[in-house]
Amino acid sequence: MPEEILTDQVQQQLQAAGAVDIVIGIPSYNNARTISHVVRAAQAGLLKYFPERRALIVNSDGGSRDGTGERVQETTIDPQVLLLVKHPLYPVHRLSTPYDGLPGKGSAFRTIFRIAERLQARACAVVDADLRSITPEWIDLLVRPVLDLEYDYVAPYYKRHKYDGTITNSIVYPLTRALYGWRVRQPIGGEFGLSARLARHFLARDVWHTDVARYGIDIWMTTTALAENFKVCQSYLGAKIHDAKDPGSDLSAMLAQVVGSVFSLMETHADVWSKVLGSLPTPVLGFPFEVGLEPVPINVGRMVGFFRQATRDLLPVYEQVVPPVLARELQAFAALPDERFALPDEFWVMLIYSFALAYHRRVLDREHLVKSLTPLYLGWVASFARQTENEDATQVEARIERLCLAYEQLKATLINQWPLPASEKR
Amino acid sequence: MKSFWEQAVLAPLRELGQQALASLSSLLGMLVLVLLGLLLGWLAKEVVYRVLRALRFDRLCGRLGVGQEIERMGFAHSCSYLAGQIVQGIIVLAALLAGLNALGTPLTRNLVERFFLYLPHLLAALAILLVGTMLSRFLGRSVLIAAVNAGMPAARVLAGLTRFFVMLLTVVAALDEFGISRTTIIVTFAILFGGMVTAGAIAFGLGGRDLARELLQSQFRPRAKTEPNDQIHHL
Repeated sequence: MPEEILTDQVQQQLQAAGAVDIVIGIPSYNNARTISHVVRAAQAGLLKYFPERRALIVNSDGGSRDGTGERVQETTIDPQVLLLVKHPLYPVHRLSTPYDGLPGKGSAFRTIFRIAERLQARACAVVDADLRSITPEWIDLLVRPVLDLEYDYVAPYYKRHKYDGTITNSIVYPLTRALYGWRVRQPIGGEFGLSARLARHFLARDVWHTDVARYGIDIWMTTTALAENFKVCQSYLGAKIHDAKDPGSDLSAMLAQVVGSVFSLMETHADVWSKVLGSLPTPVLGFPFEVGLEPVPINVGRMVGFFRQATRDLLPVYEQVVPPVLARELQAFAALPDERFALPDEFWVMLIYSFALAYHRRVLDREHLVKSLTPLYLGWVASFARQTENEDATQVEARIERLCLAYEQLKATLINQWPLPASEKR
Repeated sequence: MKSFWEQAVLAPLRELGQQALASLSSLLGMLVLVLLGLLLGWLAKEVVYRVLRALRFDRLCGRLGVGQEIERMGFAHSCSYLAGQIVQGIIVLAALLAGLNALGTPLTRNLVERFFLYLPHLLAALAILLVGTMLSRFLGRSVLIAAVNAGMPAARVLAGLTRFFVMLLTVVAALDEFGISRTTIIVTFAILFGGMVTAGAIAFGLGGRDLARELLQSQFRPRAKTEPNDQIHHL
């Protein structure tokens, strides 16, 4: 008997709505400024691209106090302005409900998946509530591969500025690709399409009272889909522009959450990734087009400063985590003059693998371990920014590809060192 | 004549024999108790070692920094084995004391009695020291990593101060458990702490407010405040 997470009121509303083909989920928390645009885009996408399907937009809210839920209910769209070729057969219903469980995006997703399951939806898509660049086409691109091509999981594929998504570029994408053997460019993108089968599979997993429910849902879904052999594709969505980020958000905590989730999943799926070498492309659907990207200000000197201080002050911590040769190299790179500061790909990959091994072996408290990676990551960003200063998007992508290949080539070292030592000193 | 022989020679000899026999049996009892303690101690050590190893106690110690501390102190064995050895030591010591008690002299009896009265305090003080050491290392490392991530130049100083004050409190608590006068400890602590604060305040006052401000700014102000921020979306 599955745990009931839907309120009586929601259940009554679902009963009144009846079965649907598509559920679009929008997890939110204080997104009153932007959610109207997202709801309008979703509604327009459903009316325009799926006029013959029954659909529901679900806002799963984390207790917003700025009227996010009211905005969802108030938002309307005039079908006339959409220039529809085919008249929609059904209206698009909307529902806004607070989610049950631990506070976090994962709990919001769980409520959306449960509603999709209850309404026997064939496809489900989730989009962030703070998107400014979403268009109705996104709904088509996330849902159609599931309905027409029988994909289970649709990951987003964006065009991003070269200094945007640096955690994805330096760790999450190359590591996920090297581990599970599939090239999914944005594994923690935020927008996804899912089949009913995969949504049911996710709901049945016993993770909804863990960190997955709080912050690790994106990488958990992508990794689960890849590691458990679901049919995965990517859809080209163009540019991704968010609402302005909270300036108080802590990079260290964010990095710890993302990297900690990836490392934790490595333990769950060790039997899968330890048998994988190399990687295969994941199909990219949609029509790729160039987009104008706003420049991203970056302070390289400040980042190098963080890296240098860490190699001095945190050296005793790093000496417990990385092999002596890497610890010596860390100090050598920190001693380089500003204009020559660069971290080679192989060094960076071995550093990340050493941290993954230390996490697995519990060499340090895990939160300390992943948080101590922050200044080293800033060192990588500084090095990357210097190297790509005069490079265009294609050259930057080629550089990231070389980093990915380094992850793949050095994976054998990780596989060999992963098993815990059988005999320890007496 | 016969009665004299009985009273003057045989009776004392008989008494001496009886006393020697009694002492010998006490000695034998003590020997048996000590041997039994050695055997039980060895067995307990092996059991504790194997159970703790199965429970991955060494990894826990490593994570908390105790393992490295023990290695630094020159112990070549793992934490599990060390814990086994401590249990063995306690059992052997207890057996030795029980053996001494078996001798039955007022001196040994008094010694044993006092030891057993003091033992709970000794164990509590050791536990306080152990937990305090682990806590000081953990909190020190938390502060160090947080301060480095915030870009504070005095990260190591802050971490060192955290460790120092946690250890100071630990030692005070352990000494209190040892039974050293509580008032003396509190007064000593207050004098030490108050003295340090006063000395610092006077030094800063005499050295000049400007210098103090500059020093504090250079040591504790995060770099981000003085330099333009990045606007990267990291994810």
